[in-house]
Amino acid sequence: MPGFRVIVIDDEKIVGQMIKVAMEPDGYVVETFLSAEPAFARLREEKFDVVITDLKMKGIDGMDVLRTIKTAYPEVKVIMVTAFASLDSAVEAMKSKVDGFFAKPVKIKELKECIQKLLSPTEPESA
Amino acid sequence: MKQIKIFHKVIAVNLANILLIVVTGFLAYHSLEQVLTKLRFVEIADGLDSSLLEMRLAEKNFFLYGEKSALSEIHSKINDSIKTIERSRPDIVRAIGEAKTARLESNLENYNRTLQEAGTGNTEAQAKVRSAGRNTMDFMNYITASERAEVNSIIAGSQRGLFFSFVLIVFTAVGVTLLLSVRVLGSLKRIEKAAHLISGGEFEKIEPEKSRDECGMAVSALLTMARELRNHEEQMIEARKLASIGILISGVSHEIGNPLNNISMLAQNFVELYDRMGRHEHIEYVKRIEDETERIQRIVKELLDFARPKKPDFREADINSVVNKSMRLVQNMISVCNIDSKMELKEDLPTVFIDEDQIQGVLINLLTNAIHASSPGDRLRLATRFNPDSARVEVEVEDTGSGISSEILPHIFDPFFTTKGAGGTGLGLFVSYGIIKNHKGEMRVKSEAGVGTCFTIELPACSRLERS
Repeated sequence: MPGFRVIVIDDEKIVGQMIKVAMEPDGYVVETFLSAEPAFARLREEKFDVVITDLKMKGIDGMDVLRTIKTAYPEVKVIMVTAFASLDSAVEAMKSKVDGFFAKPVKIKELKECIQKLLSPTEPESA
Repeated sequence: MKQIKIFHKVIAVNLANILLIVVTGFLAYHSLEQVLTKLRFVEIADGLDSSLLEMRLAEKNFFLYGEKSALSEIHSKINDSIKTIERSRPDIVRAIGEAKTARLESNLENYNRTLQEAGTGNTEAQAKVRSAGRNTMDFMNYITASERAEVNSIIAGSQRGLFFSFVLIVFTAVGVTLLLSVRVLGSLKRIEKAAHLISGGEFEKIEPEKSRDECGMAVSALLTMARELRNHEEQMIEARKLASIGILISGVSHEIGNPLNNISMLAQNFVELYDRMGRHEHIEYVKRIEDETERIQRIVKELLDFARPKKPDFREADINSVVNKSMRLVQNMISVCNIDSKMELKEDLPTVFIDEDQIQGVLINLLTNAIHASSPGDRLRLATRFNPDSARVEVEVEDTGSGISSEILPHIFDPFFTTKGAGGTGLGLFVSYGIIKNHKGEMRVKSEAGVGTCFTIELPACSRLERS
């Protein structure tokens, strides 16, 4: 998947670092942020394909990120990651049209597969 | 022990008063009736008296001038008088009694009889006429005078009676009012005292109410209400505890979930990218895994401290010495951060009954938070004082740091609430708050974003604790 651009928002520094380390060898461009505001600023500057966001964060939380992105950039895929996997938060995320939902601890392989599927041109374009 | 209720007492005394008024009224009416009877008699007697005077005058004319017609004049006057007596006999009998009435009548008849004999010219008979006339006259004067005297004594008697009844009624009325006020005020005082104890949560100090009157019942009702309230309060505390356990569990799952996820991702990448990494990177990865496990360990340890708190060892202590010890422990941090610290410790404070280690822990937690919120040049103030109104010793930790915004201020005592990200567990203030509550104290916070924060701890002064 060369050239696809991914943003990771998580106040846990290691999450962004590990996703970056795991995905860059496959040709993805990964930028990591510890909070939502600088990520939004970056989205205004350049086009990204996927945003991976933590659900529970100080300030703007994952649900706010999802809603903001789905309003301003409907083509951007959003994947939610949370250590606080309650049924309510999953249902709410589904209602807000989240593209993927992962409970921590995240299996990096599964995350990568999910992203590949989301970005695969066959399904939406052949339809 | 059954007691007469205040209500019944009031009714009884009022009934007695009404009875007294009725009796007094009846007696007064009776006296008046008597006076009227006597007066009616005196009126009749006056008429008879003037007739008698005229008879005596005619008698004189007969004896001095030998007027024969005078005798028939006296005779007709006597008959008139007897008729008058007969006409008003019931009134007269009522006033002076049957005996005196009969005697009056017999006197008049005697007078009449002597007159008939006097007509014959007999000197002895004439003397009898004089004597009978005088006797009748004297008797008449005697009963009139005695009746007048009796009227006066009846009036004086009822005057006295009325006066004494009035005094008695006033006394009982005032007495009942005073008694009632004293009892009601006394009971109100007891109710007030009970209410104070209830508001202080000191239910066991309320004396059980002995009297079963209305006030006693009010105090018992108050007590029952207080006990119910306490039961409800305990239920609410239980509910709140359950809720905080809920918050705690979700907090734990999130807090531990994050480092677990970090370990998992580090391990996955370690395996996946093992061949592409050098020895240095391998060590780096494992070290970071080790850090994350330590993070979990720290959370678990604090949780255990929270779940199984050491039994507090309460001793009498001087708060200033605890404050000084805590300050020494953070002094280095204060100097490194270039914070301007100031101590305002009031001397001769009452002692407090505390677990020194726990209170020191709370103070260090507050001081560390203040230091973290401050920037170089900010001021930190640590003060102690005694508040005589609440009988509490107060400790204030005030900083001019970043302050707490009004949105997050209500959550700072929640478990796992932190603004320090991975640097804090969010248990510090939560645990501190519990410790102060356990000391029967209070912990308050005032803060404004950008201006600073002031935490106040209130601890009961020793004398009060000892009493309880």
